[in-house]
Amino acid sequence: MDFGFSLSPSSHVKMDDVDLSTFNRLKETNPDINTCIACGSCNATCTAGQFTEMSFRRILLMLQRGKEDEAKKMIQRCMLCGKCTLVCPRGINIRRLLLDITR
Amino acid sequence: MNSQIFHPFVLPFVLGMAFVLAYCAVGLFRVIGQLPKDDRKKFWRSLVTPKTAWANIRDLFGDCLFHVKIWKRNPILGYMHTAIAFGWFMIIVIGHVMLFTLKPLEGVDAEGFARIFSNAYYPIFFKYFAEETPVFAFLMDFFLLMIISGILIAVVKKIHSKMVGVKRIMHFGFADNMIRFALWTIFPFRLIAEKSNIMAFWWLYSLDLMVFMFMLPFTRYMHIPTEALFILLRHAGLKPREPRKGYALAQIYSCPSCGLCIDACPMSVNDKNSGNTSAYFMKRLRNGDKEEAQRIAETCMQCGKCVAVCPVTIESCDIKMSQREAVPYQIKSDHSYLENVAAETKENAKILYFAGCMTQLTPKIMRAMKQIMEAAGEKYEFMDKDGGICCGRPMLLSGKKAEAQAMIAKNTELIKKSGVKRLVLSCPICYKVFKEEYHLEGIEILHHTQYIDELVKQGKLKVDKNDINYVYHDPCELGRAFGVYDEPREVIESIGHLRKAKSEKELSICCGGSLGSFYLTQQERDEITANSVNDLMFNNPDEIVTACPLCLKTFARKSPVVVKDIAEVVANQLR
Amino acid sequence: MKEKILIIGGGAAGMEAASQLYKMGLHPVIIEKSEALGGHIAQWDRLFPAFHPAKDVVEKMLDDVKGVDVRLETEVVDIQRDNNGFHAVLSNNEKLDVQAVVLATGFDVFKAERKQEYGYGIYNNVITNAELEQFFRTGKDERINHPKRIGFVHCVGARDVKVCNTYCSKVCCATALKQACEVKEVFPDAEVYTFYMDLRMFGPGYEDLYLKTQKDFDVKCVRGRVCEVSENMDGKLVIKAEDTLFGKPLKMTLDLLVLMCSMEKNKSINAIQQKLGVADNSDGFMQSKDTYLGMNETAQEGVFVAGACTAPKSLPDTIAEARAVAVEVFNYINR
Repeated sequence: MDFGFSLSPSSHVKMDDVDLSTFNRLKETNPDINTCIACGSCNATCTAGQFTEMSFRRILLMLQRGKEDEAKKMIQRCMLCGKCTLVCPRGINIRRLLLDITR
Repeated sequence: MNSQIFHPFVLPFVLGMAFVLAYCAVGLFRVIGQLPKDDRKKFWRSLVTPKTAWANIRDLFGDCLFHVKIWKRNPILGYMHTAIAFGWFMIIVIGHVMLFTLKPLEGVDAEGFARIFSNAYYPIFFKYFAEETPVFAFLMDFFLLMIISGILIAVVKKIHSKMVGVKRIMHFGFADNMIRFALWTIFPFRLIAEKSNIMAFWWLYSLDLMVFMFMLPFTRYMHIPTEALFILLRHAGLKPREPRKGYALAQIYSCPSCGLCIDACPMSVNDKNSGNTSAYFMKRLRNGDKEEAQRIAETCMQCGKCVAVCPVTIESCDIKMSQREAVPYQIKSDHSYLENVAAETKENAKILYFAGCMTQLTPKIMRAMKQIMEAAGEKYEFMDKDGGICCGRPMLLSGKKAEAQAMIAKNTELIKKSGVKRLVLSCPICYKVFKEEYHLEGIEILHHTQYIDELVKQGKLKVDKNDINYVYHDPCELGRAFGVYDEPREVIESIGHLRKAKSEKELSICCGGSLGSFYLTQQERDEITANSVNDLMFNNPDEIVTACPLCLKTFARKSPVVVKDIAEVVANQLR
Repeated sequence: MKEKILIIGGGAAGMEAASQLYKMGLHPVIIEKSEALGGHIAQWDRLFPAFHPAKDVVEKMLDDVKGVDVRLETEVVDIQRDNNGFHAVLSNNEKLDVQAVVLATGFDVFKAERKQEYGYGIYNNVITNAELEQFFRTGKDERINHPKRIGFVHCVGARDVKVCNTYCSKVCCATALKQACEVKEVFPDAEVYTFYMDLRMFGPGYEDLYLKTQKDFDVKCVRGRVCEVSENMDGKLVIKAEDTLFGKPLKMTLDLLVLMCSMEKNKSINAIQQKLGVADNSDGFMQSKDTYLGMNETAQEGVFVAGACTAPKSLPDTIAEARAVAVEVFNYINR
């Protein structure tokens, strides 16, 4: 039956279905990963971020919200310059995390 | 005297010798066969080029037998190596000389095969079969005792390494320990056999030689035959391309596991990390332990100090890089967006200044460079005032060689388009990649230490002298990588007093901030930094001066005194 | 003879503890290294959350310590203890025998040049919270020249392992919002931005302060940490931060950047602290005996602590602790 409108797919993050395996794997080798306070320093200083959407802060969130594919796409823009690691106030070894995700 | 040509006790030695020769022949073909074609061509050519041929001869004797480089670092160990290597070489040579000059076989009734076969073992067991002349007897005893004195030092080194000036020694497995024991006993057995002529000791001597030779290919002593090949390959100017093939393979087997790099490695400040040093890396590679080799390769800071102290000049940093390249990444980088970055011509500028990513985080260096260039009346432009593109070295360091090309290509385009003739860099990390990987024909690449030194010497920059005691830290990628040692020191001496650090120049200790390592934790880095700062504070300087933004930021965390970049020191003293 | 108590530090904590002990009939001696009592608070203009003049508080406190033994421009250079108590040697060579010691040495303002990327000491228009307060008090600062756009950076030297300070400095959020209002009062046409991670408005009246910044002063709050500061051709500051709520990095030119520097332990007391056997905690402040019931005691009997020497604290916290320490000392003397 046609009601004259259609239901669009839910925009909610379905937390019940989120696959955390990648994030948990990273957490094993990088326990600091949970200390992120989402200050955005990594993104603000990011060399690739000047030209693209690249944001490590969001990559971390994407991995925890079931958007692994998006995270992996975003990470391709990274130049690995290490500025993010240098400015991170929590001392998260971001460069290593980025490599671990791509491995 | 025993006027016989053969005794069964020589057989173990002969078997061992045959095995080693066969193994080495196969190994030689393998290494050369694995070389890429262009490398192989280079190698053959180097053998007949007079300059490299001379270097080969010089190093074959100087390195293999005397090890001049160990003498320079530690004379006791230098003597130890010379006594054993040169002494052993000499008793073999003298054995052969005796065989050919004294002609002991002339009166012996033997023929054909037996006579030829005897050449293999006669020089080694000469005294059992024939009489020496007094001169030869003296020479043989002299060198034999020389070897034994070397072995005594080796025993002391094993029991109490600090007595011979070594803090940490390598820890070995069963095979390496056993062959070492065999080596230590060969010469005392020979001495006793020769002096007493008791049959049992001749057997022991021969059996010992057999054990040594059968184990040789599977232990660190493989460095004895391999180093000769390595020296030839090195002089051909090759670079390791794969971690366990060709040139790298020759290097792996040339590492004697002497462990000099363990004390040298900045990571060793934490004993837990001394297993991550180059000596262990080479051992892992030799044993085919890929996972551990990969882990060590990616823990390494690539500071190059192990290469600087290595008596064999094993290029462990390069091999680690090839190890990094060997493990593929699932996700490839995509830097196609860089194509849209526009290049602009910098009109009238003579000098292009590229601060680099790290310098963006140390604005005082940028500010100082601006003041300096203005004071010198130079026509300059900033290439990355609003943020630039990474130089590509961090990407290379992660083993993504091909993917670094996108950045290298874009920066090359930007620089060429600017029309300048000189490029000045503040970051040694950038400097290394610009020097090694960029093709910027017609454009001079300078680090700001060299540039400032030139300006001061040309009189374009007038500086006032002050009374401050400075100590200079050599950034790894400027010092060890390119030997830029004198320029910064001369600049500092024109301003204040230069005090010496405990370890300087090629021995300088990495600040601990290196982008080379992926696995070191902040705490481990802090330990390295504290150790490096301690070393710099050896002569109580008032200020630490460095020439790298990353060193600057790293030291600032731990230093008890002010840390400055050389540009800042100069800018403060401009007249 | 009255029991003597050595109070090291003549700031808010030291003064308040001394005045209470004095009222209790004991004999406190304040040792203050500067030329006047009052400490940091005497350098402050107004106090959050209600813009109360700091001068009023300081004057009241000074009034309360009238009659108390005070040594100005004096430091403790040595201290020993035996069964009879503590024996201190002062920098004026005076020897003091006391029954108890109160460490009220307070804090130092984080040295902003340690955060190199913020350009303090490099760019003229980057100043600290303490310097801005000075400006409010005196009206004089050559660096503040009718700014049109002003930025505040929170957490400078706090929650930051890169400068080895992992703790929250507690008072900077409220101070930043207070100063944001005040700067708007001085320069009504200026735009004011604060760059925060969390706004920790934990005390009574603090949330009202926040609402005031929004309703009355139009202070714009951006959630994100400034991580790079540079200068453009016109000598204006260019800052980079991520607007984390919007999810994009931003760049902005400013005429004035105020760094909300954190509190660090006053390290000039380290030698004496060591002699007394008082350890530091993981944040580098002095270690109290217990977080709940022994806040003002230390592992050493007879050695007490009060105020910001144990952790970043607001003025009300400090005064409360100073009063509490007086009770602890009184009980200790009469044990």
